[in-house]
Amino acid sequence: MVNAVYDHIIAIVVICVMFVGAVVVLPTLSVANIKAVDQQQLRNIALNLFNTMLLDTGEPINWGSIDPFNISMITRFGLASARDSTLYLLDPNKVQRLIKGNPLGELPYNAVKELLGLQGYEFTFKITPPFNVTNLDGTKIDSMHPPITLIGSTLRYAVKVSYLDGRPIPNALVEATVYYTTKDAFFILRSSASTDSLGRCIQNVTLNNQSNDIRSIIVIFRVTVANVATMVVTYTSSLVRIADINLVGETIILTRTKDTPSDNVWIVNATYITGNGDLKYLFNASAKNDKRYQLNTGAKRMWNGTYIGLSYYDPVCFVLNFWAVDSNGKGRSEIVIAGPFQNTMGYAVFDYGNSLLGYGSVRFQRSVIISGMTYIAELWLWKESP
Amino acid sequence: MRVVEVILASLVIVFALAFANILAIAPTSPKYEVTELEKMGYNVLYDLDKQGLLAKFVYNKNWSDLQAALRVLLPLEVYFNLTVYYSNGTTVNEVPIFYGSIETFSTSKNVASVAYGLCGYSTMDKAVYDPRTLVLQLARG
Repeated sequence: MVNAVYDHIIAIVVICVMFVGAVVVLPTLSVANIKAVDQQQLRNIALNLFNTMLLDTGEPINWGSIDPFNISMITRFGLASARDSTLYLLDPNKVQRLIKGNPLGELPYNAVKELLGLQGYEFTFKITPPFNVTNLDGTKIDSMHPPITLIGSTLRYAVKVSYLDGRPIPNALVEATVYYTTKDAFFILRSSASTDSLGRCIQNVTLNNQSNDIRSIIVIFRVTVANVATMVVTYTSSLVRIADINLVGETIILTRTKDTPSDNVWIVNATYITGNGDLKYLFNASAKNDKRYQLNTGAKRMWNGTYIGLSYYDPVCFVLNFWAVDSNGKGRSEIVIAGPFQNTMGYAVFDYGNSLLGYGSVRFQRSVIISGMTYIAELWLWKESP
Repeated sequence: MRVVEVILASLVIVFALAFANILAIAPTSPKYEVTELEKMGYNVLYDLDKQGLLAKFVYNKNWSDLQAALRVLLPLEVYFNLTVYYSNGTTVNEVPIFYGSIETFSTSKNVASVAYGLCGYSTMDKAVYDPRTLVLQLARG
């Protein structure tokens, strides 16, 4: 009798332990499998999505360079260039449409999600240079922290080149193209130097004028590591943005900014730097008040000019020299402005989509070519939280 | 006696549950990882070739630049080991072209290998047929 009671007690305990064990183990089993399958499915979707973005031209194939831009005309999304069958070659006109605040029209994130059929998912798409170009102390180069200082007639620039993990890159070639204006003249100087063992490049350039005569300065750095180049546009914080420079296909379009003066403005000359670092003149006005190059400052689109064949030179950065009244109260003078890629193709990280990465996101990376220069394209994809 | 039976039965069930738990470990999908590394490696070599840099590095034996170019174009966590061969199978690069720990390639479960061919180079007045095979091994560090 006593034995039977013990038997029952032990049996109940064992059954309880087994029940608790089953309750703990079995859900783990199914959840782990579901998670693994889910993750695999997410990776497959991300890979297909990334291939679509980088290898497909989209429909219409020139959707990035259609002006005026209309989202409803796009039936398929893709960033590949239709001009060349080379893989991972992106069309700069299409990439530009992803920039927030593009004066000529942008493609919003939700519209891209709809075109890609990505309901229920979120993504972040990044295009970054393959290495870092920063100030010497590692801070990001921007208008508040330019790597240039002007003392007397000496322009000093100091940059640091490093891998994305922060390790310095010695012997990187730093080519600087300095554009500056005085009241009545425009100058271009070029200099080059290599980084030292700590990845630093410090160089002095002697200008033809003293600092108080100089009205505007722009320095374009082209930094090359093992023939892979990136470009950084920098200017002094006092520079006034007279116009936004946009390139759509073969057409340069100047749009109004909040700093555009209401007085007459003319373009005196235009130059550009190609992907392989060549400096080219686009045009020179016959006079400072050449009517062909006068801006309609009352309109949003102030000026446009079409230059057939321009895109074949892979222009990365334009510098336009204006004859205008600046807001510093120094009267009319020549002023240089750079564009259109400084926000996207240079130092700044081009970031598109949802910036808050979700749980369990997957990541893919490829190297891509835009305007003859190599960039790193990165995609993060995750499921929307319910 | 019944106690012994119960203990044996419960042991069988516990072992079964433990076995089920082993099954629950998420599959590591080595094939998928290797495919992704292969695509990445091919993408980088292709990009360098399209820009005319790969042939320049290989035929000028500029191994340090080739290593630096691969390093800036591949993700930080990806280790690589590149070997360049003549058409007869002998090695061209006398110095190793790699990044990361070389042991990773022997210890890692997922090592991808990409073979890429260069047929020759061109000079000012002629094209020279001089094939090279590049074998790029990739692994995550």
